Amino acid sequence: MLHFSKQTIYTEHMSIIRDIAGIAKGMSVTFREMFAPTVVENYPDGPGPMKGAVFQERFRGLHVLQRDENGLEKCVACFLCAAACPSNCIYIEAAENTEENRISGAERYAEVYNIDYNRCIFCGYCVEACPTDAITHGHGFELATFNASNLVYRKEQLLAPIKPMRTEAPVESTSQLKEPAQDHP
Amino acid sequence: MAEPKSITITVDGKSLSAPAGTLLIEACKAVGIEVPSFCYYPGLSLQAACRMCLVRIEKMPKLQTACTVQITDGMVVTSDSDEVRQARKSMIELLLGNHPLDCPVCDAGGECELQDMTFKYGAAESRYMEGKLHKEEQQWSPVVYFDRPRCILCYRCVRACGEGMDVWALGVQNRGSSSVIAPNQGDHLECEECGMCIDICPVGALTSGAYRYKTRPWEMKHVGTICTHCGDGCKTTLGMRRSDTGMDIVRGDNRDKSGINGDFLCIKGRYAFDYFDHKDRLRHPLIRRNGQLTQATWEEALEHVGKRLKEIRDTQGGQAIGVIGSNRTTNEENYLLQKFARTVLGTNNIDHHRTTDFAGFARAITGKQNATATMRDVATASSILLIGNDPTEQHPLLAWNIRSNVRLNRAKLFIVNSRPIKLRRQAAAFLQVPEGRESKFVAFLNGDDTAAGSLTSPAVSNDSLKQVRDQLRGAQDPIIIFGSELRGADIAALVKFGSGVRAMFICLGDYANSRGAADMGLYPDLFPGYVAADGPHNFNEEWGKVPQVKGMDIAGMMQAAKDRKLAALYVVGSNPVTDYSFDPAALQNAFVVVQELFLTETALLAEVVFPAASAYEKAGTFTNTCGDIQLLKKAGEISSVRSDFEIIVRVADRMGADTKKLVPFGKGVHADMGQSRGAQSGEADRHAVWLTANNLDPRLSPFDPMAILDEIQRLVPGYEFSRLNLIAGNDEHVTAAEHSNAGAGNGLVQIVPANDSLFTSGTLGRYSHTLNSVIENRRSTESKEVMAD
Ligand code: SF4
Ligand code: SF4
Ligand code: SF4
Ligand code: SF4
Ligand code: SF4
Ligand code: FES
Repeated sequence: MLHFSKQTIYTEHMSIIRDIAGIAKGMSVTFREMFAPTVVENYPDGPGPMKGAVFQERFRGLHVLQRDENGLEKCVACFLCAAACPSNCIYIEAAENTEENRISGAERYAEVYNIDYNRCIFCGYCVEACPTDAITHGHGFELATFNASNLVYRKEQLLAPIKPMRTEAPVESTSQLKEPAQDHP
Repeated sequence: MAEPKSITITVDGKSLSAPAGTLLIEACKAVGIEVPSFCYYPGLSLQAACRMCLVRIEKMPKLQTACTVQITDGMVVTSDSDEVRQARKSMIELLLGNHPLDCPVCDAGGECELQDMTFKYGAAESRYMEGKLHKEEQQWSPVVYFDRPRCILCYRCVRACGEGMDVWALGVQNRGSSSVIAPNQGDHLECEECGMCIDICPVGALTSGAYRYKTRPWEMKHVGTICTHCGDGCKTTLGMRRSDTGMDIVRGDNRDKSGINGDFLCIKGRYAFDYFDHKDRLRHPLIRRNGQLTQATWEEALEHVGKRLKEIRDTQGGQAIGVIGSNRTTNEENYLLQKFARTVLGTNNIDHHRTTDFAGFARAITGKQNATATMRDVATASSILLIGNDPTEQHPLLAWNIRSNVRLNRAKLFIVNSRPIKLRRQAAAFLQVPEGRESKFVAFLNGDDTAAGSLTSPAVSNDSLKQVRDQLRGAQDPIIIFGSELRGADIAALVKFGSGVRAMFICLGDYANSRGAADMGLYPDLFPGYVAADGPHNFNEEWGKVPQVKGMDIAGMMQAAKDRKLAALYVVGSNPVTDYSFDPAALQNAFVVVQELFLTETALLAEVVFPAASAYEKAGTFTNTCGDIQLLKKAGEISSVRSDFEIIVRVADRMGADTKKLVPFGKGVHADMGQSRGAQSGEADRHAVWLTANNLDPRLSPFDPMAILDEIQRLVPGYEFSRLNLIAGNDEHVTAAEHSNAGAGNGLVQIVPANDSLFTSGTLGRYSHTLNSVIENRRSTESKEVMAD
């Protein structure tokens, strides 16, 4: 038995109108963008070391181990980042600073500091955990490689370079953007 | 003694009862109410220095320290209120006032009591604006480092070192807020380097040179196993960390207070595990080629040894082969070694470095009930007689237990020794007798008054001797402890005296498993459980044919080697060339095989050297000198070395022996189905029956030491202990000596005490970095002092 109440007919008609409004709204965006100027990140053919890539400040890329204003490593090998890491990819071996061999500002430093990018999920927990602001997320993202063992980054690859003059802004590693030579097939 | 009467109090509305005299803090702990504390430490004197334990007690005007208040009937206590919490928070705030809070670099971070309390009670934000007073960290000894600003002045270290260790090397300088912990030599420590102070420190003020800055507590895997040094068998918890070659041991401690030693460990247990990765550690087999020991593969070495030993056995007979076992291998390995010698090599020529006369002890106490004391008993006995030995140096845990017992329970300690040993400070009576006259004292105890003549001296009068004897005769269940000074007949005489007063005995042997070596039958004349080789026994039935005649002891083997009658010598974890002055020249013509950790003097003479795993790197059991058996757990790992157990099984396999007979694994182990006993064909597999009866499964691998433990428990009387308790990590007391059937002795036995000090430990000690640096440090400070004079 077919029977439409007024109510049903009303709702049916209303839904058609709502659909049309929705489509019109969506298309308005499309049409507006059609006439707007094009914004393209010209990566990787863009200029500069970033090759045209543009990042938000908060982007979490390859880590950078920072240095203090004296050029000493900030990391004191407290293992807190390793403890915070949910994917367990930070490996540290601590050692003691001596008069002759001073690496960090405190009593101890990280003799070995590895991050395994096979596992890192770029969650930023290590950065949160670090009591000395030693570990930070840089903007490096070109990590692809044909050999997984290349993805274990050692301290030397993560460390910020020693800067000749002090600046306020944190230093970003530049080495990260150069792909290791042995990477190419 | 009458039980103290029980008292009921109310804490936080809960009513609880505890014996009269209990401290409030302990009473609370017993029912799970935690009262925070820094300075209170069970077993040490009360200090009431930190005031963390403040609680509100009804009808008392101010907050009271729970660590010093004894409970009284009807006491009503509030341990958790805003007032109490605020008080605790203020205490922490004061402590943190000058605390560096350098947790990220502090070794205590993650297991620091101050950290925990700050998390719990707050006060992490400081309200002080003043800068903090900084002092440089000081190194007090190779082991002990002190970071003064981190110290919260709980005085636990001072009391642990003084009361516990009786060393009194740490003290307090100045008063009030300028108090500071100071070492006994001004700027450095001269002490027993036990590390008690370090582990007892609730914060990171005292840290150890060995563990310093190496890793973090949560980064390690913790494995509870047994110390591999002296014969006391302390339980130690090893912190393990992954490394390139396996698992590294990073630290040793016993902070969980498990085991027979509570939180005690001496320097060797805490730090001298570090021989395990010494650069001289053998890491591959060696075969002598053109006169030189050269690196070889396991395959080559095993094949070579198997072939040569089989050849020698088949052409010259088992009596041409000698076997020397170890004081440092597990019970299972010792048992396996002698079974291998007796059933595969076909010889009773098996011995080990005897550091004391365990066989003589077994002969003396055989058939007696409750005749041996456990290490735990030493901490509770009402009186103790110690004849010979110097436990402070050679049995540090025993010394600790004796001291604790004297201090906490007012036990009476009687000492008879030829030297003024340190324990005399705890003794009720100390009798210094001329060297070698300890046996005369035993005769005197037994009523031979004429013996007194050779014992007296200006310091020891006839009367004092008599007094000691009278007191001992009247003693209640005393423990009698004796060193290697007493042997054979003297032990028998001592046991005779002791039986009259229901004494329990401890015979002191020197290495981690000396007792196990003896119990497991590393004797030319005794089978496992001190069963006479030439007497009645059932090992023929169990193992197949075994040689009936007594074999040669080490001295005999040495002579045979000289006479060119010894064609092969198989040495496991022992260094007879040094320990027994075994003549190296005599071994020139023998085929010498050595299983060792290091290239010892004996290994240097070998044809083939197998690199063996240390006791930290394998599973099994150790029996300490009292007869407490404990489980070893595999902690460290060094790739390329193998356990002595595995090596022996593999050599036996290469010799063509049936490994299933040697190690009962799999099913149908002893189903000899009548071959050996004719008429009783179809006889059940005894081992399988035993396993079923004990609810155990057959082992699956010939390299599983537990398979041999099954057989030990089945065949060695006195080793019937609760497996469950052992596996749970507890100690069990074994009584192989009481159950022995040793027959008459050999007469002359060669006993060579190791005479190790606190800082030496036979071969292993020579390769411990910590022990060496302590010895070196002492030498250099001594020479400095001499120069200054
Ligand atoms: S990076 Fe930071 S958190 Fe990680 S070990 Fe170094 S100091 Fe500690
Ligand atoms: S002692 Fe404890 S609170 Fe103090 S710095 Fe060390 S870990 Fe932090
Ligand atoms: S190491 Fe032992 S003996 Fe030395 S100061 Fe510390 S507690 Fe005392
Ligand atoms: S050094 Fe440690 S144990 Fe000693 S008083 Fe200071 S905090 Fe307490
Ligand atoms: S007393 Fe003996 S068993 Fe205990 S830690 Fe020291 S050496 Fe090891
Ligand atoms: S624990 Fe009571 S005052 Fe320190």
